Amino acid sequence: MMTFAQLLGSMRFAISMLAFVGIASIIGTILKQNEPYESYIIKFGQFWFNHFEILNLYNVYQAIWFIAILLFLIASTSYCIYQNTPGFIRDIKDFNVTIQEKSLQSMKYSYHVQLSQDNFNLEEQRLKKLGFKVRCNKKTDAMILSAKKGHFQKLGYFFTHLAIIVISVGGLMDANIWFIAQERLGIKNIESRDLPLSQIPQSSKLDEKNAAFRANVLLTEGEIQDVAILPLRDGYLVQDLPFRIALKDFNIKHYSTGQPKSFESDVIIVDKKTGQQSEHNLSVNKPLTVNGITIYQSDFQDGGSTLDLKVWDLASQDNFYSMRSEVFKVNELAYQDQKFTLEFDDFRAFNVLELEDKGKKSNKNVGPSFVYKMRNASGQAVEYQNYQLPMKIDGYYYFMSGMRDSQQDEYKYLKIPADSDQSVEGFMIFKNLFYSKDEIKQSINTIVKTNQSDVFSDQALFKKSLDDIYKTFISKGYSGIAEIITQNIPEDQQTAVANTYIKIIFLMGANLINQYNLKFPDNPYFQFDNMNRFIQDALNSLSDRSFYGANIYLELSDFQQIQASGFQLTKAPGKPWVYLGSIFLVIGIFCMIYIQETRLWIIKKTNQRYGTIAFATNRDHIDYETFTKNTIKGLGYKTYEKFNSKKS
Amino acid sequence: MRNLIQKNPNIIFSLLLIILGSYALFNFHNHMDIYEVGILCGSVIGFSWLGSFWPTFKKFFIAILLLTAASIFLYQGSLQIAEQNFFLKYFISSQSSVMWMSALFPLALIIYWIHIFSQGVFYGQLASRLSWIATAMGMAGLLIRWYESYLISPDIGYIPVSNLYEVFILFCLITALIYLYYEEKMNTKKLGGFVLIIINVAVAFLLWYHFAKDASEIKPLVPALQSYWMKIHVPANFIGYGAFAMAAMISVAYLLVDNGKFVKLLPDKTLLDDLTYKSISVGFIFFTIATILGAVWAAEAWGGYWSWDPKETWALIVWLNYAAWLHLRLIKGLRGSVLAWWSVVGLIITTFCFIGVNLFLSGLHSYGEL
Repeated sequence: MMTFAQLLGSMRFAISMLAFVGIASIIGTILKQNEPYESYIIKFGQFWFNHFEILNLYNVYQAIWFIAILLFLIASTSYCIYQNTPGFIRDIKDFNVTIQEKSLQSMKYSYHVQLSQDNFNLEEQRLKKLGFKVRCNKKTDAMILSAKKGHFQKLGYFFTHLAIIVISVGGLMDANIWFIAQERLGIKNIESRDLPLSQIPQSSKLDEKNAAFRANVLLTEGEIQDVAILPLRDGYLVQDLPFRIALKDFNIKHYSTGQPKSFESDVIIVDKKTGQQSEHNLSVNKPLTVNGITIYQSDFQDGGSTLDLKVWDLASQDNFYSMRSEVFKVNELAYQDQKFTLEFDDFRAFNVLELEDKGKKSNKNVGPSFVYKMRNASGQAVEYQNYQLPMKIDGYYYFMSGMRDSQQDEYKYLKIPADSDQSVEGFMIFKNLFYSKDEIKQSINTIVKTNQSDVFSDQALFKKSLDDIYKTFISKGYSGIAEIITQNIPEDQQTAVANTYIKIIFLMGANLINQYNLKFPDNPYFQFDNMNRFIQDALNSLSDRSFYGANIYLELSDFQQIQASGFQLTKAPGKPWVYLGSIFLVIGIFCMIYIQETRLWIIKKTNQRYGTIAFATNRDHIDYETFTKNTIKGLGYKTYEKFNSKKS
Repeated sequence: MRNLIQKNPNIIFSLLLIILGSYALFNFHNHMDIYEVGILCGSVIGFSWLGSFWPTFKKFFIAILLLTAASIFLYQGSLQIAEQNFFLKYFISSQSSVMWMSALFPLALIIYWIHIFSQGVFYGQLASRLSWIATAMGMAGLLIRWYESYLISPDIGYIPVSNLYEVFILFCLITALIYLYYEEKMNTKKLGGFVLIIINVAVAFLLWYHFAKDASEIKPLVPALQSYWMKIHVPANFIGYGAFAMAAMISVAYLLVDNGKFVKLLPDKTLLDDLTYKSISVGFIFFTIATILGAVWAAEAWGGYWSWDPKETWALIVWLNYAAWLHLRLIKGLRGSVLAWWSVVGLIITTFCFIGVNLFLSGLHSYGEL
């Protein structure tokens, strides 16, 4: 049976524990930590989820077993220092002046040298110059000189091991082991419900005296807060702060290319005890420390910006109506006897996208956008992202609205062409004309008049078929037309007919705009060089309604941005210790690697002209032999001869 | 004058560095914070020190200085000139300079192997020269890129060690410099054939990254990277990575000799063993310092000196790996093929930390993403 002291002192056990920590750490990097528990259940299934949870794999680095191993390693390393330090000190002090000539001669670097004097005065002087410490001993039959340098190498061991202890202790001071202990004792527990702050039980609150924590605060502009949220496993704790913190302003600065350059918050801190108030500016890489708590800029999001919207119906000739909403607010919407909710999730004043223009890709700020979900009565939702300003694509401007059925999908875009006034108005006028019975009748009549077709000898029949094309197009778009053609037309004529139909639809649109331009010749909307392109794009947009998932298009007419800034607040009393330990570590490694410990002895038997000089080191590098020879030269010995030359 | 330089090369070199440093300080102190002034002074001292025991480094430094100065002179403060000026377009704009590096390293590798098989001194010297020129072109390329980033816009300018493209160039350069130092010191040019393999792997990646992903475009820094810490954390880390990579390649040579291959063509096993050790020691010290600096920076930017972010965790694993390696060698006196194999495996772990984490794991270090 191994005693505990033996286990503690066993290097092999310590190394295996260290390897275990390494493997656990790797698991921690592969298995994404601190995700919501639902996503783990989806990934692993209930069975494995439970087993992994028992092992605390979702929060490896704060698992009890992980911390226990670290504690063991600290104990083991301390024990190692305790055991070995006296020996090291003895070694550093000891010169071993009683060594025998025979043992010198058996050393790897041992030479026969001619000595000039009867004492070691000259050697002592020269060795001291070379950085050696020297002791001499006179015996009845011989003189012994013992010298050494680089004995601080031994301090390397001491410092590196001490460093590991100091760093680990510092780290443990900042880990929330106190909370874990209190949790085990049943005093505290994690809150996993979504409760307002006032209803959170005392057992999930941590008071100001809590020595170490890492918690978050999210403030909207103008908001004030005096607690922070400490997320843990599948829940959270509430940390009391010694001050109140208010967000005055949050600012994002941008590069000329549109990418964000800095995130800055202006905050006001009010000390709870003294009532003292102070204003600060903090940003990424420039944290603020108050009362031992350091506040970092860590996050930002929308804080409930107000949005002024125009609601357009893409499937009728109705004009828009206005709606005002806020991010995180839900609006109700009735459409053709159906009830929908509009859930506004985000607003961004800046959007940097990679756009291609004339074959060159570049990043551009395309202006504000907002994200909302449109949910029907049965709970199904489609997500939209609409941009306020038109974007230039292949030389022309479009209002982009992305839609997707789930967050995993990519957005599919509805591209509404901008009119010659760079607004969405022109398209909406076009749409209204297209759905207006009178206008479309006039347009169709024009087509019938100008195209005395051979195919349709009967004018009424021609008109009817135009009406049918129109009806199919407004209900199902181009895909509806394609369906009819594939069903009714022989295969060899399909392409020709399709081209004719597309041309007819185009003419309907073109006539509508001509009619409008005749009525309002000075309108700003339809003054294009390339009118055909606009008409085609506008018809495409009407047709694309079929995939868009809704007949409603929301235009952002105005907004007032309100931002929220996220802070991380940390109290880490262990930090100075970790830094101190780091300094020890660097010193220790330097000592261990770059200080060469070397000892040398010279023995001269009484009444002999020859003596023995021997070198010993615990790091026998490739250059060591050269070093020994140089030292002998430095001592002024002229001829030397190596013992044991076979050995080397 | 010539006499003066020959007698006191170190003093002259240090003086040159001091003049350069002062020039930078007086002209650009408005753009520097106190820490950056510290880094500038530290660089002057550091490069003087490097030059004092490594004569070729002095020549190298002056060469990149001239290349960079010529490029800045030709640019005349406008990026557009790069398209029109012959020298900028084909030699010393940062892009072309890096391309020269990418062309010369493969060439040097081939000639190193000719040297190994032919044992001809001429080929060894040629390969070595080519490696020096490749390194100089690459280093000048980075410095010119630094200047170019300011030409785009003064508020965009940054030291080019911020994304995967830039650090891959840095990796090639630092690995090459560490190798070239030991090549000179150990007086053998045979190992270039091994160390340059890993450099050329990096070059291949760089070229793919450049042409397939358009990675060479200069993009402004995200706020998290705007810190003087980047100027020391990243280079220190890459001295670590470079040294570990070189150690692994020399271990490959060791294992070949150990198995009776190329015995007559390659240096002695003891030399290879010792060089592996030296390389790992240098790497270990710098990797330790870099990780500590990273922790201090993390404390400033992310709010905690240690967040168990995948990159941090893998850095710890790399550190533990080489700590164990050194422990076994220094304390237990282990030598030979076990350590050589270990150092090769170490490169796999290091590579995962360097690039695998960016590819497969997500975390706070996400600016290095592919």
